[in-house]
This record gives sequence, C-alpha cells and structure tokens, in this order.
Amino acid sequence: MSLPELDQRDDDELIGTILAAAGRQDLEAMAAAAAEVSEMTRNWATHIPWDEFDSLDETALNEVVADLTQMWEPVDLQVDADEEYALDKNAYDFYRPAGRNLMTRTEEFHGWVEARRRTETWQYSRTLEAAPNSIAQITNDIGRRTRGINFNSQDYLSFNTHPAIREAATRAMRDYGPHSAGSPMVLGNTRISDELEASLGELVRAEQVTLFPTGWAAGFGAMAGLVRQEDHVLIDRLAHSCLQQGARATTRNVVRYEHLNVEAVRRHLVDIRRRDSRNGILVVTDGLFSVDADWPDLVTLQRVCREHDATLLVDVAHDLGSMGPGGTGVLGLQEVLGDIDIVMGAFSKTFCSNGGFVASASPALKQYLKMFGGSHFFSNALSPVQTAVVLEASKIIRSAEGDLLRSRLHSAVTALRDELTGHGLTCMGEPSPIVPLLIGNEKLARIANRLLFDRGVLAFMVEFPVTPTGSSRFRLQVQANHEPEEARAAARIIADAITDARTYLSSAFGSTER
Amino acid sequence: MPRYDAIVIGARCAGASTGMLLARQGHRVLVLDRSSFPSDVISTHFLWPHGTSYLNRWGLLDQVLAVTPSHTEVTFVNDGIPLTGSVPDELLRAYFRDWHGDDSGVVRTYASVRRHVLDQMLVEAASKAGAEVRTNFTVRELITEGDQVVGVRGRDSDGQLVEERARIVIGADGRNSFVARTLGLPKFDERPRCTFAYWSYYSGFDLGPAQLHRRGRLACAVAPTNHDQNMVLVWGPSEWSREFRRDVSGNFQRALDFVSPELGEVVRTQGVRAERVYGTLDQSAFLRPLAGPGWVLVGDAESAKDQCTAIGMTHAFRGAELVADALGRWFSGDVSLEAAMASYEGRRRSQNAAAYYDYVCTLAEMRPYRHDELQLFVALRGNQQEIDRFVATHADVAPVSEFFQASNLLLLNDAAKETSAGYPVFEDYPGTARMYQQNLFA
Ligand SMILES: Cc1cc2nc3c(=O)[nH]c(=O)nc-3n(C[C@H](O)[C@H](O)[C@H](O)COP(=O)(O)OP(=O)(O)OC[C@H]3O[C@@H](n4cnc5c(N)ncnc54)[C@H](O)[C@@H]3O)c2cc1C
Ligand SMILES: Cc1ncc(COP(=O)(O)O)c(C=O)c1O
Repeated sequence: MSLPELDQRDDDELIGTILAAAGRQDLEAMAAAAAEVSEMTRNWATHIPWDEFDSLDETALNEVVADLTQMWEPVDLQVDADEEYALDKNAYDFYRPAGRNLMTRTEEFHGWVEARRRTETWQYSRTLEAAPNSIAQITNDIGRRTRGINFNSQDYLSFNTHPAIREAATRAMRDYGPHSAGSPMVLGNTRISDELEASLGELVRAEQVTLFPTGWAAGFGAMAGLVRQEDHVLIDRLAHSCLQQGARATTRNVVRYEHLNVEAVRRHLVDIRRRDSRNGILVVTDGLFSVDADWPDLVTLQRVCREHDATLLVDVAHDLGSMGPGGTGVLGLQEVLGDIDIVMGAFSKTFCSNGGFVASASPALKQYLKMFGGSHFFSNALSPVQTAVVLEASKIIRSAEGDLLRSRLHSAVTALRDELTGHGLTCMGEPSPIVPLLIGNEKLARIANRLLFDRGVLAFMVEFPVTPTGSSRFRLQVQANHEPEEARAAARIIADAITDARTYLSSAFGSTER
Repeated sequence: MPRYDAIVIGARCAGASTGMLLARQGHRVLVLDRSSFPSDVISTHFLWPHGTSYLNRWGLLDQVLAVTPSHTEVTFVNDGIPLTGSVPDELLRAYFRDWHGDDSGVVRTYASVRRHVLDQMLVEAASKAGAEVRTNFTVRELITEGDQVVGVRGRDSDGQLVEERARIVIGADGRNSFVARTLGLPKFDERPRCTFAYWSYYSGFDLGPAQLHRRGRLACAVAPTNHDQNMVLVWGPSEWSREFRRDVSGNFQRALDFVSPELGEVVRTQGVRAERVYGTLDQSAFLRPLAGPGWVLVGDAESAKDQCTAIGMTHAFRGAELVADALGRWFSGDVSLEAAMASYEGRRRSQNAAAYYDYVCTLAEMRPYRHDELQLFVALRGNQQEIDRFVATHADVAPVSEFFQASNLLLLNDAAKETSAGYPVFEDYPGTARMYQQNLFA
C-alpha cells in the first residue's frame, strides 16, 4: 500500500467537496477529490464508483449523490420515541436509582412504566372480572377489557370452580369465621390446621409439616430459619425469587450453580468442604421450574448432598398435586418420596389458596423453623377458610378424581405443545402444567403480547428479570378444564400473533437459543 | 458441472477465510476482490481473543503475532471507574465448543492488527490452501438462471470481461454488498442510531495493553498495533457528528481530553501522528437474509453493526467457519443445501445473537451511563471473576443472558467490596448527567 501522507485531506472533507461539486455538476472536480479519498474508505464503500466520476451519466450521478449523502449524513429513520423507549429498556435498568430522596428517585422508573402503558406493552397488573376458568374475562391496566382462553391463572386442576372446594370454604367460614386472628405460634391455628399438616405429611411422606401464610414466606422462612452468616448456600441459578432472596438475606457465601447441573453442585461441594469443614451447606432447587418447565435429577442431587454433609431443599410449588403418581409431583416421578431432606411448597398453584409449607422427617427441624423462620412466628396464620380449602384440595389430589383431573390436564398440555411445535415454535422443558413458549427478544415478545390481548388468548409474557435478558417467553399455564381443542385453537392464534409481531418489527431473528 | 464449487466475492476477513476453509476441505474455490493487496479497509481492527483464536485454529496466528503486539488484559474506564480484566480460558473454550463443536486452538490474547497486514495474510493463506484468488477483479453482474444465481461476470485486472460459474456464489463483499444490492435484498432489524468514529495512528508512546475509556456520551480507545504505532480512536453519538466534523483534528484532541485527560495529555505531548485522521458515521446496524437459491452471505454483508464493541472481524471469522462447515456438508452430499443453510441460519439468528445485537445497538446510542450502570461497575471492582465475565460478555464470548441475569446482578451487588464514595461522578450525578447531554463540539 502507498502510505498516505499525513497532510492529505480527511475523507470527510473530501466527500463534502465531492457532494458540493456534484451539486454544480462539476464531474472533473468530483473525480479530482475522489482520487484523494483514502484507500480505507474506497475499499469499504465499494458501491461508490470512485474511479468513474468523470464519466457519470445523470442517473449514475444521482445514485452516487444519494449513496454518498447516506454515508456522509445518514438520515435517522423515523421512530416512535415513546414506543422505542418502552421497548428498549428493562426493569432492572432502574434498579439503582440516583439521588438521596428515596421517594422522588422512583420517578424515572415510573416514566418508563407509563411509556409501556401508553404503548400497551405493559403486561403486568391485569385484573379479573369474574372467576378465572379455562376462559376468563379481564381488564388490562389501562382499563381495556377482553375475554379469552386463559393461560394466565395458576389453578392447574381447576379447583377454583370445584363444588367440594367451595363447600369446604363455606363450611369453614360458618364454623370459624374469616379471620385467624393471630400467629400460629399464639392462637392462629384451628383443628383444620392440624389435619392439613397431617394430610400434607402423608402426601410428601415427610410428616413434620409447618404451615406458612404464603409460599414465598415458606421458602424465605425456611432459609432464614436455617442458614447463618458463615454457612453456605448453593442455589440453582433459576430457582424461585423467594429462595434467591432467602439466600441473599442469610449469607454472603452464595454460589449460583448452572441450571440443573448436579455435577457442578458436586464440584462446588468438594471445593467448599476443602476450605470449610465446620459450617453448614444448604443446596436449594425447585422441583418443576416455573419458567423453564424442567426439573433436576433429585436422586443424584440428594446423594451428592449427603456425601458432603450438605442439606437439600426442594421447592415443589408447581408440581405437587398437578403431576406424578397420586399427585406426588416430581418427587413421586423420581421415586424419592420420603428421601429428600427438606420439601417446601406453595398452595397457590394447585391447592387453590394462598399459603405454603415446609416438610421434613425431623420434629426438631420443625420446632426450630417455627421459632426462627420469622415468617411463621411473626405473621398471621392462614385463615380458616384457606386452611379448609387446602385440606379439601389435598384430599381430592390423593383420590381417584385427582388422577382423572391430572389426566385431563395432561391431554390439554399435550394438545397445546403439539400444536405450537407444529407451527415451528419452541416449547421448552417437559410436558407439565407449565408450557413455556420461547420467544427470545423482548421487543418481539412485547409486541406479540400486545397483539394477543385482542385476539382471545390470555397468556402471560415473562421477561427480564424473571428470565435472563434476551430469553423472554410466554408462560402458558394449563388447567384440567382446558379442552384439547381449545388449547389447539389458542396455539394457532399465538403462532399468528408471533408471525405478525415479527413482521411489524421487521425482524429476522428466530428463537432458537444459541 | 460448473468449473467451481464456490465463487467467493470479497477477499478479506469473511471472504478469504471462507475461501481458505473450503479449499482446505478440497473444494474448487474462486475468490475475487476488486481491491489489490496488501491494502486497508475502514476498520479499527481490534481482535478479541476469540478472533485471534480463530486465526490460531487456522494456523495463521504465529505469523500475525510475529509483527503485531498482543496482550491479555484490557482496561475499561467508565466515568473514572476502572476495571481491568481478561477473557477467561474456560469461557473461550465453552464458546468454541458451543459454536463449532470443538475447542482446539484457544488463546487468551487479543491483538490490534492493521488490515493491510491481516488481509494480506488471509489472502495468501487462501491461495496456499488451493483457492484461486484473483484480485483487482470487480464483479459487475450476477449470472442467473430463473431465480437461481449460477455465476458472476466482471472485469479482471486487465479490464477484460470474464464470466465464471459455480454451484454457489458467496457474498463476502462487506456492508455495501454488491450481491445484496444486485439481488435487491431487504434489510431487517435496522437500528439507525450509531456512533461516529474517528481514529489515526501515533508513534512516540507505549502504554502497554489496550485501554477503553468512556465518559458521558463520548469514548476513546488506544491499542498498540503494527509498525510500533498506536491506534487511537474516539467515538460518540452520530447526532453530534456534524459539529465534530467542523474541525476533525481539533475535536479529536478535544474528545480525548474530555474522556481521558491522561490519555489526551500523552497523545498531545508525546504522540507523533503518522497518517491522516480516518472516520465514518455510516454504521447503522442491520441484518440481511442469509441465503437463497445459489447464493449465501457472510460477514458484514449479512449483518453489520456499530464498531463500538469491535466485533465485526471476529464475527466474520465465525461466519466463515460456520458457512464453510455448512457448505462442506452439502458439497459432500451429507445434507441438502436447504438443510445446510437452515443450520447456518439457526446459529446466526438465534436468541443469543439477538441479545448481543441489542447490546451493541444500545451501546452505540452512546447514552450516558445510568446511575445503576455506574454502580454496577463499582460493585464489580475487586470481583475479578465477574469482571472477566463482563469482559467476555462485552466481547460476545459469553452470552449476554448469563451476565445480565437478575439473580447475578443482585449477587454482584451483595458481593460489592467498594462503595461509590471514592468516585466524583456520583457527587452530583443529576448535574453531571445534564452536563453530559450537551454537545461538546457545539
Ligand atoms: C469504524 C469501524 C471500526 C471497526 N473496528 C473494528 C474492530 O476494531 N474490530 C473488529 O473486529 N471489527 C471492526 N469493524 C468491523 C469490521 O471492519 C468489519 O466487520 C469487517 O471488515 C467485515 O469483513 P468482511 O470481510 O465481511 O467485509 P470487508 O472487510 O468490507 O471486505 C469486503 C471486500 O469485498 C470486496 N468487494 C466488494 N464488492 C465487490 C465486487 N463487486 N467485486 C469484487 N470485490 C468486491 C471489497 O473490495 C472488500 O475487500 C469496524 C468497522 C468500522 C466501520
Ligand atoms: C417455585 C415457586 N416457589 C414459591 C412461590 C411462592 O408462592 P406464593 O405465591 O404462594 O407466595 C412460587 C410462586 O410464585 C413459585 O413459583
């Protein structure tokens, strides 16, 4: 290459000169300036006929002017500023606000939420107009109503409309009233609470059961009760928020291991035990993961834990009752009932109520958690109505009717997954009441979600922080009351909405993971 | 049977590499470029460690490093918050296993190598592998039968009109791709906002490893390159380019002084500029369709992005391995062309690719770092493992989704060893943020 002289004119200036000359139709001046343009730029802007400026006809000249102008002063495409702002950010962009006034510094986040709402891409805080069934009637957060096939409710066995469940609620209301009026450590529990603890203990085959006012409180409380500053927590990267926050709150010795990777757990355990033979290690995982619909190999995980004197906690919030033999969930499927150190769950998915529990084989652990779990001792007990509903649910779950409901649920799940896959879409994980439909890009998901709202399907879009960035999805939650044909129709509508959203955004990205 | 299996248009990072890899598989390859070599092309030519690893996998790295300085650690300074790190070996290995099924040839060093050095070596390697390379050859037409591309027509170095045919025509002809323009291919996912970038070459100082500085809406970088020189680069939002261009060399120094007074001082007092200042603001990002009947695109031709993460050449190398692998399977009769192209497309248009594309395009808007981003940089200080993962994420070695994941960000926060106390940018952040919005060159 010929080393350019230092005092040659910059390309910018030269292109300006060329454009000015083109305005005067001075082809010779154009060619003279082009000869000075750097080799770098000539080899890059290969669509410009740099050597042919002196012989351009009118069409060619116009083309050169257009191309050079685009290079020199690219026109910004017209963009809807509001929509761009709404689609470009995510909630954690606002996690560390600036300023010392805790109240005013929330304004920036609010501004973004408002932009999302104005552009109808805010998927949160929709409200129900009637009891949610396989079809639901809802209002979105700016007051628009719609009705659609409902994959937004976590009521896997459709207990919310079950007569026996409603009857149990009414009876408890009549017998005890709506209020528990105290901590379970004082006088908040009733005889139904004892019966419920026994029933749950039989279901998970870990008879020492403690009740909590929510599933979140159970997860957080179990960890807060057990783990101390110098202990260690090994937690699946995708475990539920209540467990992640439990880990943060209790110790700084937290390792987030790769999702489902039991071998990684083993390596970390070896590593920790090499450094620390004195303190405890709690290994934490979900059973059925609520956004990925997969589960860990619990047989190996529990064995590895025992080999290193670590304790295993499994959160069965989504799978208990809704799958597995007799409703025993992932534990039953893997034949580890009675074998897991600590089982934790929530009633809010299949058991038709708020509430949660922690179960183990140890009476000592039970008493300890009741005292030190915080959210058990220092929070009002489940209400009598809630307790009665959960008890009734646990009975149906263990009955022949439970098997029937689970098989109906399974047929709807299969129909939904098959139809979605048939449209070239990716359902993640294993067949379970949760069907995660992978979208990927957040913008695409937000627009598809906006389209779906008016097309008769209620699907919850999950994005960062629930999923990692760039891996958003629809989380479809199926119920026993969904007819397979209903599920297939919904799948077709969803597939169309995604296609239309992709066209709207003019995007070429697909949704395979890597 | 046409004379060639493949004709590659363009003989630089994407084209020469693809031609070389196909020829090494034993296929009949013709590589054409309108340039003569050695020659430069617009680029600030920084290769991250996966970029150099590709060269190593292909047996070319020693030759490059014989004339090019290389380092492992890189320093980012964002609004006065320094982070020094390097891309970890295990993430590099995971990258190569994931993308190409094997992790041979991994190196952890990066290098800034002039294109007149690198592209010449690539062209020679393609020839040596058995590809026929014709330079000074401008392709002027695609030959089609129906909607099938079957060959090219163009002018060779003597000005003769020449016609060649092949089973597939590979457009490795850059951002302004002739193939794409001729076929009238649309652009997807366009992101008009990008940076203006101006740079030149200086001798007279040696600062060791590369540095990347960022302050407000402006940034600068220095990296040691060939001929004992340093590539010194400044960039900023394209909205400010009109004012910047009123006095390119004056504003170049002004931007350096604003972003990093220390670096500005070194360049002003010790630097000896060897060439003119180069620059461009035509860097908006887009994707094009990847393949169609008789043609396939690779490198900038299929997807161009802003320079701000210095990734285009490495992506061109990656594309070359992917496309050569896919076409190889078709040539050998293992799969249909459609299936081969579908696998290429699946990789290039995946979720992870989309997330990185978003990362680059957002960064290229050059908005001042938000308070929470700056606090994240402070939280990273002293946490070497996570700094390294951040570097790997920035360079597209590790998926964006693994670093930018809620529980990870919360944990980073909790593990923070430093507070914002020592960094002046936090003193009156709202005031500073307002000042940052003013065009420095107005
Ligand atoms: C300012 C700037 C800075 C950058 N900095 C970096 C960086 O630091 N690191 C990095 O990795 N990337 C960087 N990039 C991106 C990088 O330069 C490109 O991604 C890379 O050059 C793409 O390689 P390619 O082979 O696809 O295309 P190119 O390098 O553009 O090569 C295309 C070739 O095709 C030839 N050609 C075109 N049309 C025809 C025709 N009709 N007939 C024959 N031949 C033809 C051309 O002559 C040219 O040689 C930067 C880009 C810019 C704009
Ligand atoms: C896995 C998991 N654990 C715990 C909870 C918390 O349960 P609850 O909604 O009862 O607080 C949920 C529900 O959000 C969950 O999905």
